[in-house]
Amino acid sequence: MSGISRRRFLAASVAGCAATTLAGSKKALAAGSFSGYPDGMGVLVDLTRCIGCRSCEAACNKEQNLPAPNKPFDDKSVFDETFHGGKQKRRPDENAYTVVNRYDVESENKPLYRKVQCNHCAEPACLSSCFVNAYTKTPEGAVVYNSKVCVGCRNCMIACPFNIPGYSYSSAFDPVVKKCIFCHETRLKNGLPPACVEICPQEALTFGKRKELIKIGHQRIQTHPGRYVNHLYGEKELGGTHWMYLSSVPFEEVGFDPNPGNEPIINNVKDFLSTVPMVLAIWPAMFTGFHLLAKKQDGHGDHEHDVEEHHDEEGGAQ
Amino acid sequence: MKHLLECGVKLVDSQVNEKTDQPWTLKRKLFLGLTPGQYLGQALRNPFNWILGIIFAIGLPMIAYRFLFGLSAVTHSSNDYPWGLLLGFGLFAMVPLSASGFMLGTTVEIFGRHDFEPIERLALLNGLLGYFFAVVFLLCDLGQPWRLPYPMAVAFGPAAVLFLVAWHVATYLSVQIAEVSVAFFEWIGWLGGKRFIRRIAIGLTVSGIILSTLHQGALGALFLYAPGKVHPLWYSAPFQWIFFFCSSIPAGLCMVIAVSTIVKKTMAWRCDSNFIDSLDRCTLGIAKGASMALITYLAIKLIGVAHDNEWGYLATGWGLWFLLEIAVAVVLPLCLFAYAIHNQRVGVARLGAFITIFGIVLNRLNTSLITFNWNLYQEIPHIFEVIMTVTVFCIYIVVYRFILYRLPILFAWKEQPQEALAAEAAKPAPVRTTVSPAGAMYRKID
Amino acid sequence: MSAKQILTTLMTVFTFVMAVTMAQAFDDMPDQVSIDVMTQYFDGVEFDHEMHTELGEDCSACHHHATGTGTTDDRCVRCHAESDETAEVGCSDCHAVDTFSAEHINRKAADVYQFHIDTPGLKAAYHWNCIGCHEQMDGPIGCQDCHARTPEGDAFYHADAQASATEEGGH
Repeated sequence: MSGISRRRFLAASVAGCAATTLAGSKKALAAGSFSGYPDGMGVLVDLTRCIGCRSCEAACNKEQNLPAPNKPFDDKSVFDETFHGGKQKRRPDENAYTVVNRYDVESENKPLYRKVQCNHCAEPACLSSCFVNAYTKTPEGAVVYNSKVCVGCRNCMIACPFNIPGYSYSSAFDPVVKKCIFCHETRLKNGLPPACVEICPQEALTFGKRKELIKIGHQRIQTHPGRYVNHLYGEKELGGTHWMYLSSVPFEEVGFDPNPGNEPIINNVKDFLSTVPMVLAIWPAMFTGFHLLAKKQDGHGDHEHDVEEHHDEEGGAQ
Repeated sequence: MKHLLECGVKLVDSQVNEKTDQPWTLKRKLFLGLTPGQYLGQALRNPFNWILGIIFAIGLPMIAYRFLFGLSAVTHSSNDYPWGLLLGFGLFAMVPLSASGFMLGTTVEIFGRHDFEPIERLALLNGLLGYFFAVVFLLCDLGQPWRLPYPMAVAFGPAAVLFLVAWHVATYLSVQIAEVSVAFFEWIGWLGGKRFIRRIAIGLTVSGIILSTLHQGALGALFLYAPGKVHPLWYSAPFQWIFFFCSSIPAGLCMVIAVSTIVKKTMAWRCDSNFIDSLDRCTLGIAKGASMALITYLAIKLIGVAHDNEWGYLATGWGLWFLLEIAVAVVLPLCLFAYAIHNQRVGVARLGAFITIFGIVLNRLNTSLITFNWNLYQEIPHIFEVIMTVTVFCIYIVVYRFILYRLPILFAWKEQPQEALAAEAAKPAPVRTTVSPAGAMYRKID
Repeated sequence: MSAKQILTTLMTVFTFVMAVTMAQAFDDMPDQVSIDVMTQYFDGVEFDHEMHTELGEDCSACHHHATGTGTTDDRCVRCHAESDETAEVGCSDCHAVDTFSAEHINRKAADVYQFHIDTPGLKAAYHWNCIGCHEQMDGPIGCQDCHARTPEGDAFYHADAQASATEEGGH
C-alpha cells in the first residue's frame, strides 16, 4: 500500500485523538440544574424606605477596609455625579463594593434611592464563567471570591448581568476582582447580618432566610395595597437572586433591567458545551473517513505529483 | 537582499554551502548566509524597518510600562468594558485569521489535494504564529499573566467556556508546533525528528480540525455569557458559536492569500520557483474555498436574523452598521472572488482576500467592543492600548519575517546526496530520492 | 358619729385611694426615656416622653395597641380593637435590638404562631415612628437634630474626606 502503513496510521490517529479527548474530557458537564441552598440567607431591599443617607456605604467601607472616599459618606452631592457624558450613575468598583443612587421619578413626590451591590445570585453568572473556579456559592447564600487563583481574565465582569464586579486595575502586581461578599468572612459565617444591613436606620434592608424574605416581600405588597409594584425583583430573575427588591415604581425607572429573563446565565452556554463531546467523538471518524475516501486505492499513491483536480470540490474542511 | 543576491551572495537553502562545499554553521544560517556586516546593511536599507523602528521606540517602552504599572496605565480601567482592544483584536480577531493551519492541513493531508502543498507550510506557519501571538496578546491583557497555567494545573472551572478555550488553544499550539517543526528539523538538520512527525501527521491534522472547530466556536460562545450586552444583530443564542466557526474558514483562507501576496511582493528572493509558479493557481483555488465559506456565512447570518425575528433592528442605526458589515465583509468579497475565479484574475482575488480580512476583524471588533454594551455609553480604547496592540502586532510581523527568511517554508530544502543515501540505508524499502515539492510535510516511504 | 361625719370620712378615704391608684398608674409612665442602646456612632437620645404625651394624641399613636387604648389603624383593628394592655409597653419589648442576629432569626422561625413576620427592629421602629410624625408636625428630622454624632461617628462617615486629585474609579 502507498504512503504510511495502515497500522501506523491508525495508531497515530488514535494517539492524536486520545490526546484531544483527554484535553476535552476535563469538562465534567452535570446535566440538570442546581436548586440552590434551601437555607441560604438573603436581603430584601425596600426602595420605599431608603432615604439615601449612605450609611450602608460607610459601613461597607469600614467592614471591608476599603480606601477612604473622596467625599464624606453623608455628602449627598454624590447623587448628582454622572459619568460618560451624563449617561451613567455611580457603580460599584474596586473602592466601593456598594453605592446608593438617586432616581428622580416623575410620579413620586420624593426621590427614590437604590442600593447597588452584588445580588448573590442562586446560579451566578460570574461563577459559571470562571475557568479557575474562583467563585463559590456558599451554603449561607453569599457568592464569594478566591483571589488566590484568579488569573485576571475578567470574564466574570463580562458575564455579570448586573455589571457588578469591579477590578483593581490600579494594582500592577496583584490586581483582583472586588465585589460585595455579603460580609461572609467577618459576619455571615458567624451568624451576624452584613454591615450594611445592621447600620441602616430605616431598615430598608431586611435580612433573613431567602425563602422567608419571599414570604415577607409578598406580605408587604399585600398589606400595603398601592404602595408597591406587585413584583419581587430577584425572586425569579436569572434563576433567582438572594438580594431582592421591592419598589413603588416600575423597576426600569429605578435602573433595573426589567426583562433579564428567568434563566440563569449558565443555561445560555449549556447547548454549546453539549456539542463539545459530540464533536470530539464524531470528528475523528468523519475526517479519517474523508481521508480514506480521498486516497486513491490503486497503490499509485497521491503524494508525489500534482494532481489535476477539475471537479469543484471544496478546498476546505466542512 | 535583492541587491546582495545580484552581487552573487548564496542563499541558505540546504545544509551545505554549494559554493564552498562546507556545511552552513548555525550562525551563518541565522544571518541568511551573509556576514554580520552584510546582514546589518540589508536590514538598515529596508524602509519597512525604519517604520518598525519608530513603532518599537514608542511601543516597547509602552509594554514595559504596562507590566510595571498595571493595566490602569494603558487602559481606561473600565469595569463596564473589561475587554478592550488587546483582546478584541489580539485574541478575537487574530484567532480566526490563524485558522489557515487547519484549513490547508485538512485540504492537503485529509482530502489529498496535494496541488496545494506549495502553500501548505506557509498556512501552517501563519496558524502557529497567529495563535502564539494571540496568547502573547492575552498575556498583555491578563491581570496576572504569570498565572496563565492555573486553569491547566492549579484550579479547574471545567464548566466555563473559557476553560475549553484555554485547554484547546494550548493543545492546538502543540499540534501546530509539531506540524511546523518539520520545516525546523529540516533547517537544523535533524531528520529523525522530521520522520517522527511525519508518522503522526494524519493524527495531528485530525486533532487540529477537532480543536479548531471547538475553540473557534468557543470564542463565539464566550459572548453567550452576556446575552443582553451584545447587540441582537451580532448575537444569536443558538448560533453564536456557529457564526464564529464558519467565519473562521474564510478568515484563515484569505489570510493565506494575503500573506502569500505580501511575501511575493516583498521577499520573492526567498521563494523558490515551485512556490512562485503555483501561487496564482493556489490563490484562485483558495479563493474558491473562501467563496463557498462566505456564501454559507451569509446564509447563516440571514437565518440568524430570521430565527430571532430581528428584522426590525435593521432599520435602526445599528442595523445600518450591520448591513454595512455584511456588505463589506461578505458580499463585496463574494463578488470580487466570483469575478476573479471566472476570469482567472488573481489580483482581484487578492483584493477580495484583503477585504475579507478587514471584514472579519470588523466583525470581531463589533461583537466584542463596538456593539458590546450597546445600551450603555460607547467606549473608545485608550490611545496607549492602541499603541500596545500595534506594537505587539509588529513584533508578530518581525517574528514572521524572521522565520520566513530562514526556514524552508517558501522554498524546498535541498536534500544533499549523502543525506539521501543515509536515509536510504536506514530504510528497508527503496526511497524516492527526487526532491518532493516544496511544502510537503513528509516524503513518501513505504 | 353623725351621718355627715361618716360621709366625709368615706369621701376622704375614697379620694385618697383614688389618688394613690391614679398616682400609681401615672408613675409607670416615665417623664424621660434614655434611648441609649445603640450609641456607637451617635449619642443617645434623652426622649421627653412627658412632652409627647401632652401633644393631644392618645397612647396608640406611638404604642400601637400595647397600652390597651384600642387602635384606629385599619390593618390592626381587625384583631386588636379590644386588646388589653400588654405586660410591657416599652418599644424594645417587641422591637428587638438584635433583630438580624442568628439567635433572633431562629427564635422567630421557631415561633410558628406569631402572625407578625415583618416586625421592624428597634432602630427602624424608632426612626419610622418618630420621623413619620415629625415630618407632619414640623419636628426634628435630621440625624443630628435628635442625636449628635460621636467622634467615632465622624470617623465612620469620613467627615474629613478630601477630594483627591484622581477621579473616582469604576468607569
